[in-house]
Amino acid sequence: MAQENGMIVRVRGVHKFFRRGSERLDVLNNLTLDVPEGEYLGLMGPSGSGKTTLLNLIAGLDRPSEGEVWVGQEQISAMSEAQLARWRTRSIGFIFQFYHLLPVLSAYENVELPLLLLGLSRAERRQQVMTALELVGLADRIHHRPGQLSGGQQQRVGIARAIVTDPTLIVADEPTGDLDARSAEEILDLLVELRRSLRKTILLVTHDPRAAQRADRVLHLDKGQLVEQAA
Amino acid sequence: MKVFSLILKNVGRNPLRSTLTALGTMVLVFVVVMVWSVLWLLDLVTAEKKENLKGIVTERWSVPSRMPFAYAATLAEGAARNPGDVRPTDSMTWQFYPGTLDQKKLTRESMVFAIACEPDKLATMMEGLDSLSPKEAAVLKHGIERLKANRQGIILGYNHLANINRMIGDVRDTNVEKLIGKRLKLYGIGGYKGLDLEFDIEGVFPAGRYDNLGAFNREYFMNAMDQYPLTHSGRKHLMADRNLNLVWLKVPDMQAFNRVNAQIEGSPFYQDPAVKCETASSGLAAMLEPLRDLIWGFRFLVAPACFVTLSLVIANGISISVRERRPELAVMKVLGFRPLQLLSMVLGESVLLGTVAGLASAALTYGVINWYFGGLRFPIGFFDRFFIPAAALWWGTAIGGGAALVGSFFPAWTARNVKPAEVFSKVA
Repeated sequence: MAQENGMIVRVRGVHKFFRRGSERLDVLNNLTLDVPEGEYLGLMGPSGSGKTTLLNLIAGLDRPSEGEVWVGQEQISAMSEAQLARWRTRSIGFIFQFYHLLPVLSAYENVELPLLLLGLSRAERRQQVMTALELVGLADRIHHRPGQLSGGQQQRVGIARAIVTDPTLIVADEPTGDLDARSAEEILDLLVELRRSLRKTILLVTHDPRAAQRADRVLHLDKGQLVEQAA
Repeated sequence: MKVFSLILKNVGRNPLRSTLTALGTMVLVFVVVMVWSVLWLLDLVTAEKKENLKGIVTERWSVPSRMPFAYAATLAEGAARNPGDVRPTDSMTWQFYPGTLDQKKLTRESMVFAIACEPDKLATMMEGLDSLSPKEAAVLKHGIERLKANRQGIILGYNHLANINRMIGDVRDTNVEKLIGKRLKLYGIGGYKGLDLEFDIEGVFPAGRYDNLGAFNREYFMNAMDQYPLTHSGRKHLMADRNLNLVWLKVPDMQAFNRVNAQIEGSPFYQDPAVKCETASSGLAAMLEPLRDLIWGFRFLVAPACFVTLSLVIANGISISVRERRPELAVMKVLGFRPLQLLSMVLGESVLLGTVAGLASAALTYGVINWYFGGLRFPIGFFDRFFIPAAALWWGTAIGGGAALVGSFFPAWTARNVKPAEVFSKVA
């Protein structure tokens, strides 16, 4: 997928506000951001600063009130909901703070879920699921349900689900926020390893400075604006 | 297939809730199936046939109808008196004879309601007896042959025989056929008081519609009427001149019926009393007229109320399920599931539950009512009991599935419109 000046994500003059009754709540103010392909970008900032909102806009889960969001060659801020759904399947891998695995499905079936939308054969799906689960080190837990896995293992399944469609961009919203220190370290190491081996672009929202340390670049958001940029 | 498997797993994720919703569905489908079964049968018997119609001739101005037996011969010919007049293809006379087995204690169980008729007509004219299974037809034919051979014979319905069994002490004995060959005496009641008849039990009606009826040879009945003065100081029996209640006429089509009707109602022979001729279905409809409001209520209030209640039960169950699963539905949206797919998934879960519960309920109702209870006791008109038609299997399935579809549409629409960003901000 060709990008303008090698940028995989381009956010241009984005405003995002919410209305609560007659009150207007500005969350992002005229925000512009470029993310080069293959970068591991950390987004930090206090609660309510707009980190998750920005992540949602880039992942196509929400639309800007003003401005444009481009991922690769696609202007996702102009897509319909159905187009966005199709685009997300192929282009975005999302890692959640609380894993959000479907409790009725096994680890294998959870990872397989997004592939059901791609029209692949059973054998093709199996190959991709097993590859993803091997990458996160859970190939021996394919029949376990989420309730039978530890928090760290569930997050690994979540990561396998995020990478199984070979997406352009992986976005992670506080992926270690619900884990103990040791499991958090393992997950952060895994993300670094994935980025190195698969050459994926990763956007990580975190409060944890240790998590941010592993990023190539860290951006700080405050009151809806990028206020600091650290190498 | 994978999506169906997901639907199946979602239905099974909360077994208690799914079971309770399914049980609620089954109870309400049961009620609707019962109501519809009764309405279905009433519709069936009151629907005008296009061919092989039965016309019923009765007294015009009096209920119950009591015509002189002298009418029988000409009515059987459709009052045809001129060249070119239409004659019925078959006919049957009905003379109702109510009697009791116990002269001292008149109870419902001891009462026998029998008709005096020509034995041959039982197989050709009685509703429902011309379409029996080969085995039932053979049993009935055997009984009719015995009735013809023994003028004092009687064929009884199952309930009468069961009552006799109880009266002689075999309360738990359901083998009523052992009574065939035994003799019984009926003491006339009502208008037939004083006319006591002795019968040999010669057969049993096939189970169902005629469980509460008896039939015997009209020659025996008329002979008993003729003999009555000999033992009663030369006085005729009160009913001697007016004991013909109905005449059934079979005609090939509505045109023939109209002609026969005109012949009968235009005949000068039937003046005192006057008679009327109507189709069997309109006769039954007239008989059901006092129940019209009740039937209307069942059709347009009870059945729809059950359907709405069923939809609400399902809506409640599915709403709770959708509300609990909002984060999962949001995740599925994030993964790329489109709104229509989520809508279909939730509808699929609901319809699966409703359809299976509806089918199970209808099948259970069919089996229990028809096979275990031998029909649903609900006396209206000539009908003693109703059976659940096989069509109830698809009614039940359709009612369960349809109510589930209607009831789950709003929750499914809610699932379709889940906004991941909002859901995750609340979760966080």
